[in-house]
Amino acid sequence: MSKSARWAWIVSLVAATGAALVLAFVLSFSTAGGGFYERHFVWLFWINVAVAALLLLVIGLAALRLAVRMRRGKFGSRLLIKLAGIFAVVGLLPGLVIYTVSYQFVSRSIEAWFDVKVAGALDAGLALGKTTLDALVADVNAKTRIAAERLADSRDGPAPLTLERLREQLGARDVTLIGANGQVLAMAGGISATPPERPGPLLLRQARLTGVASQVEGLDEEAIATGDTMATRVRALARLPNSDLHLSPADDRFLMVVQPVPRVVAVNALAVQAAYSEYQQRALARDSLGRMYIGTLTLALILSVFGSVLLAIVLGNQLARPLLLLADGVRQVAAGDLKPKPVFASTDELGGLTRSFAEMTAQLADAKLQVERGVAQLEGARTRLQTILDTLTAGVIVFDREGRIDTVNPGATRILRLPLAAWRGRTLSELPELEAFAASVDQRYELLATSPEAGERDHWQDAFELGRGDGNTLTLLVRGAPLPGEQRLMVFDDITEVVSAQRSAAWAEVARRLAHEIKNPLTPIQLSAERLQFKLENKLEGSDQALLLRSVATIVNQVHAMQRLVNEFRDYARLPAAQMKPLDLNALAAEVLALYGQAHDRGQLDARLAPALPRIMGDATQLRQVIHNLVQNALDAVADRPDGHVELGTSAARGEHGELRAVRLTVLDNGPGFPDKVLKRAFEPYVTTKAKGTGLGLAVVKKIADEHGARLRAANVHEGEQPDAPVTGARVSLSFSTFAPGPAAPNAEEHPEPQDLHAGPAPATGDATQVH
Amino acid sequence: MVRRLALQGLGLVLVLGMLFGSSAQAQVQPIELAQLQAIRRDGALTLEFAVRIALPKAVEDALQHGVPVYFVAEAELLRSRWYWRDERVARVARHWRIAYQPLTSTWRVGLGGLNQTYPSLADALAVVSRSAGWKIADLPQLDPDSRYYLEFSYRLDTTQLPSPMQIGLGGQADWAIGVERVLRIDREP
Repeated sequence: MSKSARWAWIVSLVAATGAALVLAFVLSFSTAGGGFYERHFVWLFWINVAVAALLLLVIGLAALRLAVRMRRGKFGSRLLIKLAGIFAVVGLLPGLVIYTVSYQFVSRSIEAWFDVKVAGALDAGLALGKTTLDALVADVNAKTRIAAERLADSRDGPAPLTLERLREQLGARDVTLIGANGQVLAMAGGISATPPERPGPLLLRQARLTGVASQVEGLDEEAIATGDTMATRVRALARLPNSDLHLSPADDRFLMVVQPVPRVVAVNALAVQAAYSEYQQRALARDSLGRMYIGTLTLALILSVFGSVLLAIVLGNQLARPLLLLADGVRQVAAGDLKPKPVFASTDELGGLTRSFAEMTAQLADAKLQVERGVAQLEGARTRLQTILDTLTAGVIVFDREGRIDTVNPGATRILRLPLAAWRGRTLSELPELEAFAASVDQRYELLATSPEAGERDHWQDAFELGRGDGNTLTLLVRGAPLPGEQRLMVFDDITEVVSAQRSAAWAEVARRLAHEIKNPLTPIQLSAERLQFKLENKLEGSDQALLLRSVATIVNQVHAMQRLVNEFRDYARLPAAQMKPLDLNALAAEVLALYGQAHDRGQLDARLAPALPRIMGDATQLRQVIHNLVQNALDAVADRPDGHVELGTSAARGEHGELRAVRLTVLDNGPGFPDKVLKRAFEPYVTTKAKGTGLGLAVVKKIADEHGARLRAANVHEGEQPDAPVTGARVSLSFSTFAPGPAAPNAEEHPEPQDLHAGPAPATGDATQVH
Repeated sequence: MVRRLALQGLGLVLVLGMLFGSSAQAQVQPIELAQLQAIRRDGALTLEFAVRIALPKAVEDALQHGVPVYFVAEAELLRSRWYWRDERVARVARHWRIAYQPLTSTWRVGLGGLNQTYPSLADALAVVSRSAGWKIADLPQLDPDSRYYLEFSYRLDTTQLPSPMQIGLGGQADWAIGVERVLRIDREP
């Protein structure tokens, strides 16, 4: 419970106490014993006023706060005002009804108490009693005066006997003769023997003045209560008329008669007097009574109304709080804020609602987190896949269900040399270069779908020759597979080089067999021809002999040529396995160059050898042949030109940080270069344009380079290094990356160049191959 | 709605306050102390006082209508003590009741159990407005070295009125009449 709520509860408790006080006050009227509330009415009243003022202040503050909140547009203030208004009306209306009814009831009933008739009757009753008493007194008066006159006239004087007779005549209780100062002269009657009461001086004086005086005595509740029948009495005093002349007041005598008033009369008269008195009191208190009732009622109304309004605000707050909490939470969730929501700690349905809402929010947050994690994972996987696709050397193309290009990786662009990525959303057949290719691929997909071949359940594989605009032909190995959603995946690879290698291997096999088959009959043929010449030369004459000699020479020459051809084939096909040993490339180059002393002298051949070259692992014999082939090729290429020039160079390729990468051997010429058509396949066997060449020279080089793990490159040299400039020569380079262990100092090796130079076998077939 | 209601309530409270609070006009004192003295006599401290009573109209009306009115005289003898509350040595009170008898048109004055009838209100008031030889305390009770003082009050006792009449009397000056006086008791010579 918040601080303000506790405060509100305290205030309402105080209000309830005030109302209870008022109620107790009102209730005390029904119990006659009170007196306390009458005395403390004012005090109570002001306490109640103070409570009411306090409540008013609280309500005013609450209303002000609500108004301010509403003006600021604070969320939920309207609901609060509505709830408070409803509760207030619920509390106010019954209170007003009860107040109105009670007001009318109280004022009417108070008015009803004071009836004019009742007042009149009481007045009349009092007057009646008074008249009765007066009549009684007058009667006694008259009788007393007559008795006094008679007593004065009697000759006997006031003898006790005369008095007794008088008493009997009058029917009085006592008859007493009294002197001027009130002293008893003679008396008659009296039940008790006690002397009769003397008259009061007032009565005596009156009797002296007017002759007769009387008064009623003992007319009060105490006297009646004694039960004495003589308690209430009329005392009359009459002066005895005196005929004597010597008049002096001191000689006056009085006759006092005491006669009882009938008890019934006295009691009734007293009752009337009491009722009258009571009624007069009530009438006097009438206004204040009415004021008190109405004031109390009004105060009770004010307290109950204020209390109900206060309670309305408090209850409205209580009721609205969880709702506001919920609504606030809903707004936050709608805005995307899924932080944990506060819970309203109560066991009722509203509290349960807030708890459920908090749980729901937590679940939402969890779900969102999972989704985000999933998205992140997916993104990661996609990026990874994309990276793989991008770095994949194979070409990948995904077609959508209409056969349009959906995804293309850079590999595909590279292999096909077509900007496929720009063709996304179009079919493959729209590309003029690929129309035929697209048709075959489609056919293959159809074939897979309709009648798959054995072992081809989920994908197909085929090789396609793809003619390109520049006359080259790409050999592609294409695999296709259907993807879910009628998409199609196509993966292809450029296997032109693989095919080339396969072709080389096939040629090697053919050459080996052919050489074997052809070489065998050659020697017998040559021997037979020489034998023919030997036997028939002398037997023939003239032109026949000349014919024979010429024919035999032709046969022998041709057989030699065929033998050479066959040897070359054999060399290509049957290269021995390389014997890897540490060797110095510079020494080897110098050794080979020594064989070309003639060309060197003519200025056609130069060597540019880098010093301190690291030693590499290699087979000296094979490498010697490589150098020989390359140099011979180059010399052939420049043979037709007078300014032909060949340069053999070695160098060390180093990385960014100076670390050794490769040892490079380069042969550079200024000949016409490789035709474009040949450049790609320069290292395949039997690719040559020369009539005399077998096309095996560079093929052998390639094979040896492969065995050494060296990279072989052939390229045209363009003028000024511009790709579009005219060709000014060709360059073939060979990079070795397998180095000999240990120090790379060439001097450390005991390998004197001259010795090696002379010991090295001269290559027999150096000029046999030339690629051009 | 709440505010309007609150305003009405405030107005009501103000009106009620004016109704009940209309009082306290300055006027001639209805009861004046004419004489007050303490006398040592016959081994006792006795009090003698006389007041002049001019009954307000409302009170006289009530009397004429038969409402009994009570007067009370109270005297309290206190010993001064500088270190503590003053000690109450004695406390005496006299209650008079004046009532009109409409039947006989007489005025009855009651003092204790004694009732006396007088033909007029002035006579009755004359009886209740004075007292002599009213014994407060025995002299041996008093410490000669101490200072004493007497708190005397004479007033109309509204608490004895009929209960309906008491309501609303709190703010009415007509009924709250009385006089108070503090009398220093001289030391014994």
